[in-house]
Amino acid sequence: MAVYEGPVQQLIDELGRLPGIGPKSAQRIAFHLLKAAPEDAKRLARAIVEAKERVSWCRRCYNLAEGELCAFCRDERRDPHVLCIVEEPRDIVAIERTGEYRGRYHVLQGAISPIEGVGPEQLRIKELLARLPEEGVTEVILATNPNIEGEATAMYLARLLKPLGVRVTRIASGLPVGGDLEYADEVTLGRALEGRHEL
Amino acid sequence: MLAEAGSTTTSRVEQLWLQDFRCFGSVEVSFPAGLTVLYGDNGQGKTSLLEAVGWVARARSFRGVPDAALVRRGAAAAVVRAEVGAGTRTRLFEAEIRGQGRNRIQVNRQAVARRRDLYGLLRVTVFAPDDLELVKGGPAGRRSYLDELLSLVGARYDAAASDYERVLRHRNALLRGPRHDELRGASLAVFDEQLVRAGAELVRGRLRLTARLLPAVDAAYRALAGHDAVIHASYEPDWCEPLTADDVDAVEDLMRAALERTARAEAERGVTLVGPHRDEWRITIGGLDARTQASQGEQRTLALALRLAGHAVVADLTGDAPVLLLDDVFSELDHARAEALVRSLPAAQTLVTTAGSLPATVTPQQAMRVAAGRVETMEP
Ligand SMILES: [Zn+2]
Repeated sequence: MAVYEGPVQQLIDELGRLPGIGPKSAQRIAFHLLKAAPEDAKRLARAIVEAKERVSWCRRCYNLAEGELCAFCRDERRDPHVLCIVEEPRDIVAIERTGEYRGRYHVLQGAISPIEGVGPEQLRIKELLARLPEEGVTEVILATNPNIEGEATAMYLARLLKPLGVRVTRIASGLPVGGDLEYADEVTLGRALEGRHEL
Repeated sequence: MLAEAGSTTTSRVEQLWLQDFRCFGSVEVSFPAGLTVLYGDNGQGKTSLLEAVGWVARARSFRGVPDAALVRRGAAAAVVRAEVGAGTRTRLFEAEIRGQGRNRIQVNRQAVARRRDLYGLLRVTVFAPDDLELVKGGPAGRRSYLDELLSLVGARYDAAASDYERVLRHRNALLRGPRHDELRGASLAVFDEQLVRAGAELVRGRLRLTARLLPAVDAAYRALAGHDAVIHASYEPDWCEPLTADDVDAVEDLMRAALERTARAEAERGVTLVGPHRDEWRITIGGLDARTQASQGEQRTLALALRLAGHAVVADLTGDAPVLLLDDVFSELDHARAEALVRSLPAAQTLVTTAGSLPATVTPQQAMRVAAGRVETMEP
């Protein structure tokens, strides 16, 4: 659907490839940027390039990190014996906002979803298994999303981890059914962390 | 436990605004309590009005068409707004239905993210000419009749049904994938458990509902036919012996055992063979299979009785009588049955469409004519 010429269409196409942005939104954003002051547009371009260059995956927990390790893995005050397992880096933000959790994290970078061809081997599970003896982990909290894929992933991990002698808990489902952790409000999530149950 | 705590006030549609919905450019209609009749020739939009009211309740068309079919040609989106009253409380429902992409739904200006969050806002019972298929058609229609009623009775059954559908798709994708894979075995075990959890919840709901429905179907059939008939419905899974409400505690174990038995067949065929998506709800009249051995008249009466009974059970369990939407049903009925249906209709808000006339005993609160996408009030 190339309606505009050269760089304009290219900009619309690139914006349209972003998640949640349809052709109409892409067009609207493109024209907004073209009308904006050159300095504003350049600042956005620089932010994207800089983030992409400086941020990568934490070598230990696969959270976003600036450098080798993320802020949580660098923080010595964090309890290294407790790991909270989440699907995406954004889920860490939701849990941190509760102020209830003092352990470290492990980011799976997804959830088991056969429909989309994602199996356990596509997730950071091997890396998780390697961390347990290395860091002397005694408790693992499964905080994957409370939807079908998140539950399946939690169930899979529970079966894998329990024979290894670590305590495995799942955050209590005070969470809205079928929702994403990202949208859970802080009070519910705080309560869910307190009320986590043994698997 | 079948029903969640329901309100004791009856909700009804007081005001409806449509924009670019089906053939309507822009239209506003108010509906009183009691009976409203919508007259009009076919293709003039009277069924679309019922469809819009149904959309408020279910966030989808009761005619089983995709949302794109609801958007007027040339428009980007259809807008449905409705004031839903329940007792002294009024709630404003607003939906922007898009041909492509996500719909936007708000209740009292608050965004509604998922269909199940609309639970309890408005319930409808729909009578449509193709209801006969409930009796004459395959088991899928009867399964969705039960599931539709369950979703009106409790949000958790709606959740179980959509969870089950998704688990089934995941599980079938696994079964179709590469075999003899250790990882597949472990993932399959997880989805087996999820299939059992969501599936058993759905089966338990259907069994409890069946026990509730049967006396109501009996009563409705008697009222419509003018004589007694022994009506029975038996829940017949494809993967175990017929079940009744006494078996609710055994469903999970029965499903697990069936999954074990059919593991090899499932692997060979690459499809899930165990679970409520394969079940039959067999209805008999006087011991004879209603689908194959009943007369056309008996089948028609039974289809109406099923709708009336469903309505009565939902009203009873939730304390909220659904709004009745009768789409062109009188044209299919002989005089005696039409009169009997009118006598049996509960005193809820009722919207009726007809291309012809109504039985003489019907006295509507409001009559309207729908023509070329315009709605005009007539002298009742
Ligand atoms: Zn880290």
